[in-house]
Amino acid sequence: MSKHLIPAALLWVVLTAIGEATFFLDWLPVVGSPEAEEWDLIFNVLLAMGIPVFTFVVAALIYAFWKFQTANEGGETGSPFKGTGSFPKVWLVITSVLAAISMIIGLVSLSNLQVDKAGYGWGEDQAPLVIETTAQRFSWTFAYKDKNVELLSAKDTELLLPIDTEVKFEIQSIDVIHSLWIPAFRMKIDAIPGRTTFLTVEPHVLGSYDTDNNFRVQCAELCGLNHTLMSMHIRVVEQAEFDEWLASKQTKVSR
Amino acid sequence: MYAATTIGGGLGTGLLSFYLGLGVAALLRSLFGFDAWDRDFNASIGYIFGLIGWLMGVGMWGTWGREWFGAKIKDPHANSRKELGWQRYFMFNVDHKVIGVQYLVTFLVVFILAGAMAMVIRLELMDSGRDFVSNKTYNTVLGMHGIMMVAVAVAAVVGGLGNYAVPLMIGADDMAFPRMNALSYWLVPPVAVTLLLSPFLGGLETGWTAYPPLSVLTQSAQTFWNLAIITFGLSSILGGLNFVVTVMFMRAPGMTWGRLPMFVWSMFVTAWLALLYTQGFAVALIMVTLDRIAGMGFFDAARGGDPLLYQHVFWFYSHPAVYIMILPGFGIALEVIGHFSRKPLFAYRYAVGAFLGILGLSGVVWAHHMFTAGIPNYLHGPFLVATELISIPTGLIFLSALGTIWMGKLWLRTPMLFALAVIFNFACGGVTGIFLADVPTDIHLQDTYFVVAHFHYTIVGGEIFGLFAGIYYWFPKITGRMYNEKLAKLHFWWMFIGFNVTFFIMHWPGIEGMNRRIADYPQSLETANLIVSLSAFMLGASFLVFIYNFVNSWVRGPAAEANPWGARTLEWQTSSPPPVENFLQPPVIAGHPYDYGVPGAAPHVTFYPPAVGSPAGGGGGGQ
Amino acid sequence: MAVIAAHGAQTHGAGHMSPAKRLQVNRVGLWLFFFSESIIFGLLFTSRFFLLGTHQEHVDQFLGLVITIVLLASSVTAYTAETAMEKGNRKLAAWSLFATILLGVVFAIGVGFEWSVAEFGIKTAVEGQDPHNVVWGTVFFSMTGLHAAHVVSGVLMLGLALMMLLRGHFSKDSHWGISSTIMYWHFVDVVWVFYYPALYLVAGGGTHTG
Repeated sequence: MSKHLIPAALLWVVLTAIGEATFFLDWLPVVGSPEAEEWDLIFNVLLAMGIPVFTFVVAALIYAFWKFQTANEGGETGSPFKGTGSFPKVWLVITSVLAAISMIIGLVSLSNLQVDKAGYGWGEDQAPLVIETTAQRFSWTFAYKDKNVELLSAKDTELLLPIDTEVKFEIQSIDVIHSLWIPAFRMKIDAIPGRTTFLTVEPHVLGSYDTDNNFRVQCAELCGLNHTLMSMHIRVVEQAEFDEWLASKQTKVSR
Repeated sequence: MYAATTIGGGLGTGLLSFYLGLGVAALLRSLFGFDAWDRDFNASIGYIFGLIGWLMGVGMWGTWGREWFGAKIKDPHANSRKELGWQRYFMFNVDHKVIGVQYLVTFLVVFILAGAMAMVIRLELMDSGRDFVSNKTYNTVLGMHGIMMVAVAVAAVVGGLGNYAVPLMIGADDMAFPRMNALSYWLVPPVAVTLLLSPFLGGLETGWTAYPPLSVLTQSAQTFWNLAIITFGLSSILGGLNFVVTVMFMRAPGMTWGRLPMFVWSMFVTAWLALLYTQGFAVALIMVTLDRIAGMGFFDAARGGDPLLYQHVFWFYSHPAVYIMILPGFGIALEVIGHFSRKPLFAYRYAVGAFLGILGLSGVVWAHHMFTAGIPNYLHGPFLVATELISIPTGLIFLSALGTIWMGKLWLRTPMLFALAVIFNFACGGVTGIFLADVPTDIHLQDTYFVVAHFHYTIVGGEIFGLFAGIYYWFPKITGRMYNEKLAKLHFWWMFIGFNVTFFIMHWPGIEGMNRRIADYPQSLETANLIVSLSAFMLGASFLVFIYNFVNSWVRGPAAEANPWGARTLEWQTSSPPPVENFLQPPVIAGHPYDYGVPGAAPHVTFYPPAVGSPAGGGGGGQ
Repeated sequence: MAVIAAHGAQTHGAGHMSPAKRLQVNRVGLWLFFFSESIIFGLLFTSRFFLLGTHQEHVDQFLGLVITIVLLASSVTAYTAETAMEKGNRKLAAWSLFATILLGVVFAIGVGFEWSVAEFGIKTAVEGQDPHNVVWGTVFFSMTGLHAAHVVSGVLMLGLALMMLLRGHFSKDSHWGISSTIMYWHFVDVVWVFYYPALYLVAGGGTHTG
């Protein structure tokens, strides 16, 4: 038996090493906020756990494929063990522990994301900057609360966000279900007619759609024929530039 | 001639009843003071009339309906006569083997059509920019690809292979309710026709999930689509009911629960799932239909309705539905791996327990599809935990499969290759599932191509590979002919590589910010999408090999032996194809189906009285 | 070996199992069908509370009580028909079936009358009502509508059973056609036992939140 176990285990180790080596590739999208940082961390932890599980199956399959195949001439039969011993119980314990770990990781991080236990959204309930977001087919309206500035999504407009400030999007929909997704912040929540959902993010990197395509608002719930077009570019800027931009917009509105 | 009368009769009465229904609806509307004509309303009534007319016309009236009025019926078994040849597949036939073939061929056709639609989607997504099809066509193709593939995944294995093999494997002469079995099948053609007509009735806008309020507001073929899917649900429920009763009551003497082959176990659990949950999709779509044609307000927030009600009811079915899809895949994989490893199935009881565990948990995980849908925060934790729990029984399936191939004598024929691929693919699909079950990672990944890749890995990689394992495995039994092994292996490797390249790479654009159901995406994702599209075309082309091999071998393949695989289970102990009554002598079950090489193991099957000239009863060591 | 002999060397299709087994299989199949139907009813029932909590608009309590009593009475007559059939009393069975059908029709008419006098619509709010409660009409009409559709189909099936009985079909030992229809009727009754309080009683009587 161990004649087979050791080479198969070696194969598993090698495959796992190759899999885990992908962490050096740094292939995740731009990290635009602490929320995205946390997401990357959990994603990587789960991936680090998942790769050995996957390679275990793959190693067993490859090894069996390679070593145990026969032409089945003469009706050979394999070892008649039935798996009634303790091995299945050990397996059950190991898989349960793995499942428990991924549950705990999920639950701990979830508790950070949900400050308001009965609300519909992610992150802090209060933020210095609130953007009242209204979704409709096929555009977004962003109103900076108490700032008297309103933006309608269009090809050449950009949603400006100040760096290192918590921004809370309060999201409503006036027709069908949409979903506000900002890939750079790894955040998403649906816009549901009849209720207000929210998500709070804190951009901590300067950037715009031109530097990275993930600085954008994207509708992520099929909302009709032009669902594809329902996106808007985001630019994260210094506080001073943001204030200046806001002031210029306010004068336009008040005029 | 028989085929033409059946189909022609069904079409004739169906169409007449449809027009009658239109008229009745118009009459009723004007009696109650509404406008006589409202397309969706009148057509809905017409559809119901037409459906009943079709069923009666296609043969249900003569073999069943007359009985309700105390009149004499035709012998429902008359249509099984062998002399009818290919025509018996086009008649209201109660023989489970005929119905199995009807299901299988119908859904293979649907599978090919829906696959062609996937090619259109990938053509559009080959580069950024919208150039190949219009938004309307794109959404229609997308929705139809989705729902048709869901239908294939739900019904091809259960309706096709399940119908064919389950009664044979438990030693029954037919299903418990043969006429209802035929009814389940004949409900399908109207569904297929309605779905295929939807591009000409206004297209589809909502994808296969049909979320309101969009599905209520949309000006498209939504109402027809709803009716078709409700009909399909009815077919699925009746089919599930039939399987449950069949497995409970039709087993041959000695076929205890502990001796049931894995495929039968998987069908039994799947049937329970279909029976328990399919109503969810039907009720959800009935509500949408009522909102659309009767002006009701289930999902209208302005009138006190709630759009999320739909998602709860819908996913109450549609999550268990993924187990309706994957469990048959597991069942076939374990079945084939057991026979082709030539050793007892490892941890049989644990694998059965896994099926039952999945059945138990499937009903309490639906809201993991709604993590970003604005459900109250207190719901996330429990559904996260319940979803992660499912990985424990699923792990037992892997235990059983890997334990069985370990130290086995693997006979790597095509069914075995596909079965091993199920385990390989699902390992990937299972691991990516963890990311979607954990709420924090799901927030970003929800509704992206990561999800698309994940569910193609589980459903295509798990079930469709299982379907092909089953098709190659039972091909000699069903057709009495052998398929071409070289072409079959070519098909396998082509499909396996094409599939894995396509969908493994597809995870990446999802993480990188590509959402699903779009016709366009940012330019930075072009390279990945080009590779995915090219390998998807390769994957699509692999089925040409299959079609050629399938058709050609069925028509002129070499005659197959009764038991070409030397398998112990019951369906191989009768001729290929089996006689109408399945077994010439009644079978008695004495041993476990997978006891290969176990010293002193009783044969799985003996016949009473001992068969003369028929294949040996369940050889312990194969041929 | 008796089991095997009963299984029969010449079996041909499932129609040839023993009558006792056929009956058992049919019965389980019918119960599973009810089980499956009850999930449809249950989902609507749950939706009512999901959307409205225990809120309720004004409904005619007297009418509701009357049709409920009528429907429950019809279950008694249906039961009488079944037991009469088991004893071979065809005449009593026929009359009981007829009474059941009559009560079923009265119930259906009652629901129709209830619909016509309902003080709420589906589409728009009645004067003075909170527009957010308009969904009450949706819930009420769809729940009673689904149930009434089952009542009507039950009446039709009972009618067929009665017609066949009068034509001399069925016997003391073989009357699955009647038994199954009556079981279906009981099932429809039991559904109303849940629907009646959910629609009429849950808010403690006719609270008009106008």
